[in-house]
Amino acid sequence: MSNQQSGDSQQMVQHGETDANADGRASVEDGSTRESALTGDALELSYPTSEEPVVECERIDIPRGEITALVGPNGSGKSTLLKSLAKQLSPDTGNVYLDGKSISEYDDKAFARELGMLSQQHDSPTSLTVEDLVYHGRYPHRSFFEQVNDDDHQAVERAIDLAGVEHIRDKQIGNLSGGQSQLAWIAMVLAQDTDVLLLDEPTTYLDLHHQLRVLETVRQLNEERGVTVAVVLHDIAQAARFADYLVAMQDGELYDWGPPREVVTEELLADVFRVEAAVNYTPDPEIVPKHSL
Amino acid sequence: MSGTTPTEQSSGSVLNRLFGWIDGSLLSLCLASLVVVVAGGLVQVSFGAFSMTIGEAWRAVFDPAVIFDPQVWQVFLLGGELPELGRQTLIVWNIRLPRVFVAVLVGANLAISGAIFQAVTRNELASPFILGVSSGAGLLILLTLVVFSGLAAYLPLLAALGGMFAFVLVYLIAWKNGTSPVRLVLAGVIVGTVFQSLQTGLFFFVDDIGVVQSAIAWTTGSLTGTDWEQVRMALPWSIIAVGLALGSSRQLNVLLLGEQTARSLGMSIEKVRFALSGVAVLAAAASIAVAGIVGFVGLVVPHLVRNVVGSDYKRLVVGCLFAGPALMVAADVGARLALNPIQLPVGVVTGLVGGPYFLYLMRKQQNIGEV
Repeated sequence: MSNQQSGDSQQMVQHGETDANADGRASVEDGSTRESALTGDALELSYPTSEEPVVECERIDIPRGEITALVGPNGSGKSTLLKSLAKQLSPDTGNVYLDGKSISEYDDKAFARELGMLSQQHDSPTSLTVEDLVYHGRYPHRSFFEQVNDDDHQAVERAIDLAGVEHIRDKQIGNLSGGQSQLAWIAMVLAQDTDVLLLDEPTTYLDLHHQLRVLETVRQLNEERGVTVAVVLHDIAQAARFADYLVAMQDGELYDWGPPREVVTEELLADVFRVEAAVNYTPDPEIVPKHSL
Repeated sequence: MSGTTPTEQSSGSVLNRLFGWIDGSLLSLCLASLVVVVAGGLVQVSFGAFSMTIGEAWRAVFDPAVIFDPQVWQVFLLGGELPELGRQTLIVWNIRLPRVFVAVLVGANLAISGAIFQAVTRNELASPFILGVSSGAGLLILLTLVVFSGLAAYLPLLAALGGMFAFVLVYLIAWKNGTSPVRLVLAGVIVGTVFQSLQTGLFFFVDDIGVVQSAIAWTTGSLTGTDWEQVRMALPWSIIAVGLALGSSRQLNVLLLGEQTARSLGMSIEKVRFALSGVAVLAAAASIAVAGIVGFVGLVVPHLVRNVVGSDYKRLVVGCLFAGPALMVAADVGARLALNPIQLPVGVVTGLVGGPYFLYLMRKQQNIGEV
């Protein structure tokens, strides 16, 4: 199994390299090239209610084993793009590839075993307990009538531990604070045990403590288990500190991509966010607005 | 020793996941429901045109000539000629008890059907009849009675088929690159309105008051004259529907997490939604075939149960399995005995009891708006 996987990934590296050489997009900090876990190719995305495409994107790469942050102003199409990568929105044209295979070829459950997605809004019955919610994360690993087994049990324990929700596992979702319930949902998507994880604004509306907790959990998952992460973040300084790779979007198109240091520039802030600000690396990125808007 | 502990522990937790969900509130709900069913059943077998004392009725219920005779059970469940039995035993077992059993089946089916539809449409006002089932069944009942009176013998079957047909029609209307709960409910309202008008129009062509009464009994739901034949008709479908509903509780729970989450967990949401609706319609059709269109049970019971045991569908379905029959049996006591010797359609009583109870729930509970 592991043998086959490494064989696959070697192939992928080469594939990635040729792609990267062709358009130079997958190059990262140290100059080497990375294979991408998830690739969007010539995507045009729209909603039934919209007349024109919301997102047009020639190519997007989510490099394997790294944390990629999508940044951009409200309405720039970050969530829409993420949805199409997660097979929640089928593109008008173009295709999305997961591990080199078109995602439309995946069976729904098989896809959910490979890629987890936590959307921006989620509701649940208030009387659901955290533990029960986390067990729902095992859905793609069970057949229709199948009961929980030891694998499920262990994955749930691991997810609860990693997300740090052990102390609230028996509490009902309705009685949790926004930050606690977000961690509970993250535990659910962790229990899904996927190699790729997409998170749509997981830190929005959370206080600083919970923001950091969420990001720390994601970082830990990435470092310890090699999970590929793509995350939409609102705070660009936070994104620059946190992510290995940054994708900036503007008006439904990719504006720039690459390591944070190369992407987060005064020019980007002026063009994309319409903010005149100074960017300093000390060594963490700092963004200081030059004057009020 | 230390090597075995973790496995023991984890298999203990797996066991805990298998049975840990049965809690005090569910057990007491089931027990209370059982008490109501037994008490209601006892009243039903004791009173009527041929009166007996409660002692006599009990003796007849536990008559060993019936209970321990497989041949008698075979006749009850598969049909045939009954062997010689005592007069009281015959009245209890052949006339009064089957009606209680039918009430139990109808109550369970309607409650489970309503619970499923409330999850599928994510709408707390959903009932077994939300997707046009009642109007389709009603239309075919009227058509059969008024236009195709030669087919009257197949009325139960036709009523159930009418309900299923309307459901499929609703689904087709709602389908446009997939469905959504709102579109399904809207399509249900549209089909319901049209069929309801046709049904009302048909009443104008009826000359015979007997046919009108029969039509009203069918469209409001009645257990008058139900027999072992109705038990035989509904039982197999009820067992299938209940089994499927219990087995699907996890799917229903995942549906409650919202469409997006369900999809990202790998649920093939259209397939699951259609399959679950199918189970709910099967349960509703089984009850329509034997009792007509009994209102309110499928709406009120899931609410009542959810109020007690919470929104977990494993608990909810089991709770409905007990509480539905309790409401139905109790309502039928009222329908049969309140205005003795006139028997009311049981649907009239469930509406009279269910409506105010629903109002009470609404006033009492802050978060009634949530499924």
